[in-house]
Amino acid sequence: MRLRSDTRHKLEGYIFILPFIVGFFLFFLSPLIRSITLSVSDVTKMVGLSDMTLVGFKHYVYAFTGDVEFIPKFLQVITDTLVNTPMILVFSFILAIMLSRNIRCRGFFRVVFFLPFLLGSGYVMSVLLDLGLDQMAVSGAKDLLLTDEIKELVGPGVVNVVDEFFSRISTVLWKSGVQIIIFLSGLQSISPALYEAARVDAATEWDIFWKITLPMMTPIIFLNIVYTIVDSFGDVNNAMINYFTDKCFSENQVCYAAALSWIYFLFVAVLLGLVFLFMNRIVNRTVGQG
Amino acid sequence: MENLQKTVIRRLRRVSPGRIVVYLFMLALVAFMALPMVYVIVTAFKPLEELYKFPPQFYVENPTVNNFFDLFSSLESADTPFVRYLFNSVLVTVLIVILTTLVCSMGAFGLVKHTPPGASVISGIVVASLMVVPQVTTIPTFMIVNGLGLMDTFWALVLPKVAVAFNFFLVQQFMGQVPNSLLESARLDGATELGVFFRIIMPMLRPVISTLVMFSFTSAWNDYFSALVYTTKDSMKTLPLALQSIAGGVGSAALARSGAVAASSFLMVLPVVIVFLLMQRKVIETMAYSGIK
Repeated sequence: MRLRSDTRHKLEGYIFILPFIVGFFLFFLSPLIRSITLSVSDVTKMVGLSDMTLVGFKHYVYAFTGDVEFIPKFLQVITDTLVNTPMILVFSFILAIMLSRNIRCRGFFRVVFFLPFLLGSGYVMSVLLDLGLDQMAVSGAKDLLLTDEIKELVGPGVVNVVDEFFSRISTVLWKSGVQIIIFLSGLQSISPALYEAARVDAATEWDIFWKITLPMMTPIIFLNIVYTIVDSFGDVNNAMINYFTDKCFSENQVCYAAALSWIYFLFVAVLLGLVFLFMNRIVNRTVGQG
Repeated sequence: MENLQKTVIRRLRRVSPGRIVVYLFMLALVAFMALPMVYVIVTAFKPLEELYKFPPQFYVENPTVNNFFDLFSSLESADTPFVRYLFNSVLVTVLIVILTTLVCSMGAFGLVKHTPPGASVISGIVVASLMVVPQVTTIPTFMIVNGLGLMDTFWALVLPKVAVAFNFFLVQQFMGQVPNSLLESARLDGATELGVFFRIIMPMLRPVISTLVMFSFTSAWNDYFSALVYTTKDSMKTLPLALQSIAGGVGSAALARSGAVAASSFLMVLPVVIVFLLMQRKVIETMAYSGIK
């Protein structure tokens, strides 16, 4: 009798998961598997995609050797992500630390920092970026910092770096809403007893940050890195995503587009794998020290 | 009166210069972060001559609602009335939000609270699939939707967005917080499993459900990609896609219709802001837990 009710309980579990599994399989897993087959085939008839012939890794090779547009676009998206991700993480971390301090109107600040997220990365944001609103917003600060005398003093190299920084800063800040909130929740979960113990031992704020806050936050930093990278590579306004869409729907090169998207996915997976290994080592080291 | 003055002075003395710097910095950031939203709202009410001012202004001198009339008239010259796009968008968004919330939280409930054999495999696959950039599956999903004969139907816009790994993962992380003893006592009182789900799980997970509703609402409402891919008829377009086509595509500045574009941006953002403000308190509560576990 006991066993029977237990089995029944588990069966009910399956019934509850079933709708999700059906949907997930039909619209995620099976397309994923199918895109592998597509990427190593050629299609002669577009209608119904019936005549498929296996052609091996032809498309993958072509992407790197024959396609003049692919590599520059790919590199551009990679640089954007690699430059923006650390900026987003550092800014949202600093803002989260400030918000986690005992300041007034914390709720108000949190709402405001979340506002740009609501605009999404879709239509409205692209209209705003088209207008150059992001550049306008920071130009005042830039002019204040980079007067002609200073420009001469530091030389063109530094000026370029600062220019680059200012051209990215507004998009970076506007993309940090989710990260700020995730960091904030992480900071609030660190036990106050740790800080008190450190203060009793006469640790400075600087020591406390490096020896307590940062190590305790590593898992959450990892979470945010993954979120930021996936979000950046999946952004509908990025050049690669637009390129797939063009290839696939305007130029009808379905198989080539599938190969491109797999190169893209594998790159993201490898990148995240590296981040994971790296973070794991840091976590292990800090745990070992503790 | 003298007393009041004294307290004010005493209070002001207690404020350290460091604090003032922090507040000033925060205020500058607030202005900066609110900028896109303020700009969208203000621009929608600018008369034509103010729209073309350079550099653009973040306030409006003579507010007008002409832009909205422009928008409606430029949409109405097409075969499909504006209301049709609005109807499509609302229907699709509402269906997505309801279905994904139900399917994902039921799934998470079955997985975490019933632990059937293979549960860990399923949750592993879900976590791994978080890393897949969605565009990888765009083409084959299109083929499947096409193969099922769903092109140009509402189902094509809704069904692929229901079983979303991220939504499932989010609810799954919170399911553990509901104590098993509570579920057991409900079962002893004769509640069915569906009763347990709707009467206990859903109310207890209200914060995470609000987060889910807000996220899926924002993404469904802003999404023009699905409509672009899965529909061909004008009458099946959703609002963001229709607005984009009157603006003349994303890339071109579409100067001639700046007013209509400004009004359309405002109309797109408005519902999202309303939903966020309604859900805000709950959402931020949940986010405050989701990072940890």
